[in-house]
Amino acid sequence: MPDGATPVLDVHNLKTVFRTRGGEVHAVNSVSFDLRPGELLGVVGESGSGKSVTMMSLIGLLPSPPAEVREGTVSFDGQDLLQTDPETLRNIRGGDIGFIFQDPMTSLNPVFTVGFQIMEPLKEHLGLRKAAARKRAAELLELVGIPDATRRLKDYPHQFSGGMRQRVMIAIALACDPKVLIADEPTTALDVTIQAQILELVKELRQKLGMAIVWITHDLGVIAGIADRVLVMYGGQVVEHAPVKGLFGNPQHPYTRMLLETVPSVRGERASRLQVIQGQPPILGAAPEACPFRDRCPQRFERCDRENPLRREIGQRHDVACFWDFNAGAPLNA
Amino acid sequence: MLDAAPAKKLVEVDNLKMHFPIQGGILRRQIGAVKAVDGVTFDIFEGETLGLVGESGCGKSTCGRAILRLYELTDGVVKIDGSNIADASTEELRRLRPAMQMVFQDPQASLNPRMTVAAIVGEPLMEHSTMSKADRLARVYELMDAVGLNRDFANRYPHEFSGGQRQRIGIARALALNPKFIVCDEPIAALDVSIQAQVVNLLEDLQEKLGLTYLFISHDLSMVRHIADRVAVMYLGKIVELAPRDALYSGPLHPYTEALLSAVPEPDPSLEAKVERIILQGDVPSPANPPKGCNFSTRCPKVMDICHEIEPEFDEVQPWRFTACHLYKETTNQTASQKAASTEAHKSAQLGEPK
Repeated sequence: MPDGATPVLDVHNLKTVFRTRGGEVHAVNSVSFDLRPGELLGVVGESGSGKSVTMMSLIGLLPSPPAEVREGTVSFDGQDLLQTDPETLRNIRGGDIGFIFQDPMTSLNPVFTVGFQIMEPLKEHLGLRKAAARKRAAELLELVGIPDATRRLKDYPHQFSGGMRQRVMIAIALACDPKVLIADEPTTALDVTIQAQILELVKELRQKLGMAIVWITHDLGVIAGIADRVLVMYGGQVVEHAPVKGLFGNPQHPYTRMLLETVPSVRGERASRLQVIQGQPPILGAAPEACPFRDRCPQRFERCDRENPLRREIGQRHDVACFWDFNAGAPLNA
Repeated sequence: MLDAAPAKKLVEVDNLKMHFPIQGGILRRQIGAVKAVDGVTFDIFEGETLGLVGESGCGKSTCGRAILRLYELTDGVVKIDGSNIADASTEELRRLRPAMQMVFQDPQASLNPRMTVAAIVGEPLMEHSTMSKADRLARVYELMDAVGLNRDFANRYPHEFSGGQRQRIGIARALALNPKFIVCDEPIAALDVSIQAQVVNLLEDLQEKLGLTYLFISHDLSMVRHIADRVAVMYLGKIVELAPRDALYSGPLHPYTEALLSAVPEPDPSLEAKVERIILQGDVPSPANPPKGCNFSTRCPKVMDICHEIEPEFDEVQPWRFTACHLYKETTNQTASQKAASTEAHKSAQLGEPK
C-alpha cells in the first residue's frame, strides 16, 4: 500500500465514556490511528476491549446518553467528524463511509426486499431515480457474487442463507462507492467455509474498488490473512500497532505475545498444553492511571502500577505501549 | 489415551437417527422430517476425548443431546457403559443419569439466575444422593476448588460472574455426581480467546485427574485438534470421516474434511502463505430435503457421477480411519482376503500402538 500518502481517516486521541447507573465506564482511552487510501487496517481485541465502540464513536453511531465522546479529533475528508452537524454526518454514513455489521440477520430489515434495501442508500445519497437505482442494485449484487441478481432483488432477507445475507450487507455498504469501509466482525457469525468465501470476495473487491477498510475481529487468523496493518486493543487502549508481518513476526507487547501463543492452529506443530493468560480483562471504571494489562502481565514491575505507558515507536510504523523492552530483556529507562 | 491397551468402549453409538417432524396443512399432519442426525455410528473409548466437528446445522449438537437421550430417538442404539439407554425406561434412565452429564454452550442460559452457585452445583446431589446438608456443602466446596472457583463466592448468583467463571460453574455442576462420560456442547464458543484456553486446560486437567471421557462438540477445528484424541467430522446429519487426530489433520481423506481444514484462517503468516485454500461453492442443503446419493455431492470439488446416485457407505478404509466417500471405494470393494487382513490390522491396532 502507498506509504506516506495522506490518510483518508485520521483519528487522534479519541476518548469515549459511558455513563451508567453504576458509574462511568471508560470504554475508549486516547485511541489514535490513521487509515491510508486502499489500506486494510485490522483491529483485534477481546470483547470489551473497545474496538467496536471506537469505530462507532467516530461516526456518531453511539446513543448519547449514555455514551459521550469526551475528547479527540477525527479528520475525514478535510473535516472533523466529531464537530460536524448531525445532518452532514448522516450523509457521510452510508455514503463516503460504509458499514458491515456482525450479524447479517439483525442488520437487514425483514419486512423489506433486499432490492429495496440496496436501493435505499442509492436514492438517499446519490439521488438516483428508481429505475437507475434498480439497475445499479443488480450490478452490486452481481459484484458480490450472488447469481441471478435481477430476480433476487425481489427476495426478502429470510430467503437468503447466512453467507448470502452477508454478501447483501456488503453490497449495501459498497452501494455509494465509499472511501472507507468499516467492517465490524463481518465473518464471526459465519461458518468457516462460508467465511473463506467472504474473505476471498473482500480480497477481490479491494483490488477492483480500492477503498480503505477497517476490519474489526477477534480472530488473529483472519487478520493474518487479509490485513496490511494491525491495531491490537486491550482495556480500551491501543497496546500495539504494527504492519501485519511485524506484528506476527516480532510482537513487542506482552499481551500480543501471549495472545499469539494462546491461539492453537490446525497446521504446524501441536502444543501439548495451551498457553493461558491468567485472570480477567480489566473493569474500565475510571480513567486508567496505570497499565490496563498489569494484572495479567508476566513482565509487570513497579512502574506499571503507577504510570500508563504511552505508545512508543520501536520500528517502521511499529509502536507499542509498554515499559518493558523485550530486545533488552529489561525495563525501559524511565 | 488410545495406547492404554486394550481400551474399553464406554460409549457405543450404532446407526443413531434423530428426525424431527415437519407439520403442515390444516390438520397439522406430518408432511416431512428434518433429518438432523441420519444414521451415525461411532464408539468412544474410556478416558478418550472424541471431537465432533462440523458447521452450524450439521447435527452435531443434536447428536450430543440424543446420546444422553435428551430427545426420544427416532432409531438406533446408544450404549453407555454397557446399558442401552435408547430404550431404557424412565426409572432406569434416572438411575443411569449420574454417569452421564453435559456442559452446555451458553453458561448464561444454562444457569438459573435465581439460584446461588451453591444451590446450582448442589442440585444434582440433592436429586441423586442422600447426603446431609453439611456433606453436600462440603462436596460443593470441593467441586468449586476443583474447577478453580473461590469458595467465598458460593452464595453469589450467576450474574456476578464473568463468562469464563460461569462456564466453570457449569462444569462443577456436571462433575457433582462423579460422572464417567461428559458431553461438552460447544463449551468455549461463547468465550474470549484468552478465556477459552483457561477452560480447555481445566477440562484436560479434570480428565486426567478423574479419568473422564468426553464427547467434545465444537465448530472450532483448532481447539478440537488441541483437546481431542480422535475426531469425527459431520456434514448434513452424517459422519463423513472419523479418524485419530493427527492422521485427520495431517492428511484428511474426505473432500469435505479437506475443504473444512483448508478454510480455517491461519494465525501464523509463515504457514498462511503455504495454505492452499479450497473454497467450497454454495451452501449446505436443507436437512429436510438432502440431495440424492452423497450428501456432499452438491458442493464436492471431486464429485463423480456415482456420487449423485448412490450414497457412499461409512467404512474403515485404513486402520482406524473411517470415511464415507466413493473415492475410497476400491478399498470397500476389496476381496475377502484383503478384508480379513484389514480386520487383523484393526485388531492389532486396537491392542497396539496407533495414536
